Amino acid sequence: MTAATSAPVRHQPPRAPRPVPLTAARLLRLELRRNPMPWILPLIAAAFWFDSYRPSTTQPPIWALRTFWNMGQGHTIIDFGPFVAGVAAWAGSRDGRRGIADLVTATARPRWAAQLATWAATAIWAVGAYLVFVAVMFGVYAHQGVQGSPPWWWVAVGAAAVTAFCAAGFAVGALFPSRFAAPLAAFGGFLALVMSSQTGFSHTSGWALILPTNSNGNYQPLSGIFYPYLPDLPIARVMFLAGIAVAALGLLGLPAGAGGRWLRRTAAIVTLAGVAAAGTAVGLAGTARLGPHGMVIPALHDAASDQPIRYTPVCGQSAGVPVCLNPAYRQFLPAVTAALRPVLGEVAGLPGGPARVTQVAGTYSNGEGAAGAPMTISGRPPVLRVPLGSLNLPGSFGGLRAPFAEQLKLLSLHAVTGAGAGPGTPAQQAVQAALLQGAGVPFAAQPGVLSMVGLPSWARATVAPSMSGHWPGPATGPVYAAARRLAKLPSAARHAWLAAHLGALRSGQLTLAQLP
Amino acid sequence: MTAAGVHRPPPGAAQARPASWPALASLRLAWLYLVSRRAPAAVGLLAALGALLWAALHWNWSVAGGGAAQQLVPLVIETGAAAVIAVTTYGPFGDTERATGRWLPWLRLGTAVLLTAAAAGALAAGASGGHLSGGSLAMLRNLAGMTGTGLLAAAALGGAFAWTGPMAYWLVTEGALAGSWTTPWIWPARPPHDLGGALCACGVFAAGIVAVTLLGAGGPSRRSAPE
Repeated sequence: MTAATSAPVRHQPPRAPRPVPLTAARLLRLELRRNPMPWILPLIAAAFWFDSYRPSTTQPPIWALRTFWNMGQGHTIIDFGPFVAGVAAWAGSRDGRRGIADLVTATARPRWAAQLATWAATAIWAVGAYLVFVAVMFGVYAHQGVQGSPPWWWVAVGAAAVTAFCAAGFAVGALFPSRFAAPLAAFGGFLALVMSSQTGFSHTSGWALILPTNSNGNYQPLSGIFYPYLPDLPIARVMFLAGIAVAALGLLGLPAGAGGRWLRRTAAIVTLAGVAAAGTAVGLAGTARLGPHGMVIPALHDAASDQPIRYTPVCGQSAGVPVCLNPAYRQFLPAVTAALRPVLGEVAGLPGGPARVTQVAGTYSNGEGAAGAPMTISGRPPVLRVPLGSLNLPGSFGGLRAPFAEQLKLLSLHAVTGAGAGPGTPAQQAVQAALLQGAGVPFAAQPGVLSMVGLPSWARATVAPSMSGHWPGPATGPVYAAARRLAKLPSAARHAWLAAHLGALRSGQLTLAQLP
Repeated sequence: MTAAGVHRPPPGAAQARPASWPALASLRLAWLYLVSRRAPAAVGLLAALGALLWAALHWNWSVAGGGAAQQLVPLVIETGAAAVIAVTTYGPFGDTERATGRWLPWLRLGTAVLLTAAAAGALAAGASGGHLSGGSLAMLRNLAGMTGTGLLAAAALGGAFAWTGPMAYWLVTEGALAGSWTTPWIWPARPPHDLGGALCACGVFAAGIVAVTLLGAGGPSRRSAPE
């Protein structure tokens, strides 16, 4: 038999490339074209302008302050998330509402893959719109000359949150197809975010830090100015939100009609991986602690993030003393020099009195948050170091110029008397009160100044309640009696007494009885 | 062959209903309409929202802030109830139903009013779980106004997306409460017995009822919801 060997060799035609990528891309393109998400974007844009951008414009032009409401408190997520969840639920419930679930199950492509294509199109619209809206808002901020640097990590958290809402809403719609899926998904989104914000007010540490709208104690106003935004907490939040998204999408592949056995096993593994990622993120958030520059998660912390941002200060003069601030605070320089002028005039020429005023970065502590950093005087020549970020800046959160000036006077005189981070001795309190009177804050107003929100806790400790139990009480008692005696002295006599006794006062050796 | 006998029903055919049963027919029509709008499911959801309000008040889910903050969780639940009512306006039959349904406006009106009453009852029962900021009167005002926004959204955007009306209004209210606005158009920010807030809420509810009764869901263009 030779016929077989003499037969011409039949060349197999080259195999055509697998059509899967092209088909998947076509499916995605179709879903992008017929997706309902673009219909809702004008409404979201209006909500975004009203709820995220508009309130932020009342804040001073500093990135961390401008974005405190919309990024720190997560209002961009509140504006997007529930609406996106509702529309995604509507898209996810399409096959079920139309009664064609069995029909699409019988097609060549697994149902899970088709659902993922629909979800991907929905998420692309939603996340794309989120990024565009945020980019426009940040562009407007930049055009307005906002100082510091933008909180990019919080933008990533927002994008992850939109993705997670999209996935969760889609899963609700796919698993419970009904006309009520969309409103219930949106309602659930709103309720979750409101509860997240509410929980944040009472839980400033621990697991609750993972909640994307919890800003309390973890969105520092000095970030992006003196040091970078710490990425630790945003990384944990992205992990948490991505885990939720992955778990929700994995759930879609678990029902019997979603695909073959291997596909369903893969879906189960994906679901477990999502749950594990979210759980790990919650655990990581539980280990977070408030460091001097922000919220630190030891397992995620990179020491390079603690490097300070270099800057060239802007300076002015106040009573002949140079006053230098971070350039991000340039607009506050006139207010600071004006507030410090009477204080520096009172202490001019005293031994150990400040020869220069310079702004320093505030640090954060668990008990005080941003308000705990006191002003200090140190160095040769002596420099008054002012952590401005801990004060209620004019224009920030309703802050006014007059209270800002009174706080500056109080804290700088507190540093002059050497009281440090505590209330000080009675003699130090009396001298502080007398000098404060000389700097333009009458005795009667001083208890109110000491009770202002945003001041360190020692300030409130020096104020007694009134007879009726209300804060603050009147400026009475032995401290104010001694302060009134000192304030009654002629200016030259008071200055001479301070020049002779300031060292003893600052070391805490003077008593009230030793005051003139 | 003639057609003389074709008007007679074939032997064994069902007897036509006597014309003396119009009331029964009307009830059947109303029931079929309610079922087509998933009203029974909506009533179940409204009851669940009432239970949720009871739980929120009983276990004090609003944990921080002043009076405005205390309103947020109940307001979200009232928003959810309004959204559920609004999406019941979505009809699957479109022009067919509009062309044949002489009683359609009355059915729309009755359904919206009945479901609003059911929501009010469910939420009022839920309010017994604890202290509701503003009391039941404010809750009724807020629910009526938000339902009005939902019905207006149904007339403008279609029943499928009618839920966006109350949700968008909640978002505006949340910002207004934070900013201490006092305009009566943000009625949740007004005291329970405030006439201006009540008039605005009732006006929006009436406008929504009129719009959805006369126009139905979908607005003048009657376009179908995007998929």
